[in-house]
Amino acid sequence: MSEKFIRAISANEVAPGGMKAIELDGNEIVICNCGGNYYAIQRRCGHMNAPLEKGTLDGTYLTCPMHCIQFDITNGEALSGPVLPNFGQEIPSPMFGEYLQNIGILMKDVRTESIRTYTTKLEAGWVQIAL
Amino acid sequence: MKKIIVYTLSTCPWCRKTKNYFAEHNIPFTYIDYDLADEASQKKISKEVDAAGATGFPFVKIGEEVIVGYQPERYSIALGI
Amino acid sequence: MNIQSRKKALRYFFEKVVGPLGFKFTPDADLMEFLLEQEVKLESKHGIPFCPCQPLRDDRIRDMKIVCPCIPFHRKHFDIIKRCWCGLFVHKDVLDPNKLPQLSPKEVGIE
Repeated sequence: MSEKFIRAISANEVAPGGMKAIELDGNEIVICNCGGNYYAIQRRCGHMNAPLEKGTLDGTYLTCPMHCIQFDITNGEALSGPVLPNFGQEIPSPMFGEYLQNIGILMKDVRTESIRTYTTKLEAGWVQIAL
Repeated sequence: MKKIIVYTLSTCPWCRKTKNYFAEHNIPFTYIDYDLADEASQKKISKEVDAAGATGFPFVKIGEEVIVGYQPERYSIALGI
Repeated sequence: MNIQSRKKALRYFFEKVVGPLGFKFTPDADLMEFLLEQEVKLESKHGIPFCPCQPLRDDRIRDMKIVCPCIPFHRKHFDIIKRCWCGLFVHKDVLDPNKLPQLSPKEVGIE
């Protein structure tokens, strides 16, 4: 079955090292430019759905801004777990401490899934994505 | 025979080498893996390690002498072997 | 989480930090693999890749000083002994890491 590529954005809309969130046919996708190689991944973090384009891209490693989970954008693999809040001795009040504990309990069982990636190709200055 | 106590970490390869040194020389010793110990023991060890001005493990006590780090030559000298 | 994938990512990030500081990964491949694996496990447990050979104190300020690579927090010490405490990193000119003894700061005249 041959893949059907859809024109997404112009290549120069994403600078090297940068990311751009787009919607293509109802799919929320982030396009990453790694030194001229374009990758396309699902926009939502595999943990708690944070928008990944607001994170940081270093090489082919993307760090989610919400809980710092790192993904390999070449295959969507989740490389680490969430870094959950640990305020240690900085808790301003016992009530807030209890609140954090409750959040911690709720978040404890949330799994981190790897993210979907899309095949891309560059053609005539356009990034094309296979849906 | 001098009393030997070693504070170690289960994650540290140098601590493992230190334990092997005493085992291979058939020297009786006790060790505590700090990272696997209970809170009270950790506090106690932490205090002792700080007092000796050390920051890393292994922390070896041969009698009264403290040797920090994997240093088999110094262990041998301290043991007189 | 896949340990090997995580090790590869840590290698990528750490190299960028230690290189400009004059350090490189130890040429002892077995030691490097073992230490990185311990760090991946520590990261899994605590959320941060701590040094496998220094104790956690449950004091955030102190514990931040043993987050790998901890070279900047022990620069003077490690520059003298030409290695970091656990030996994951050594000075760039080191060919035989086995020749570098694990000396504490006191022993090299610091603190």
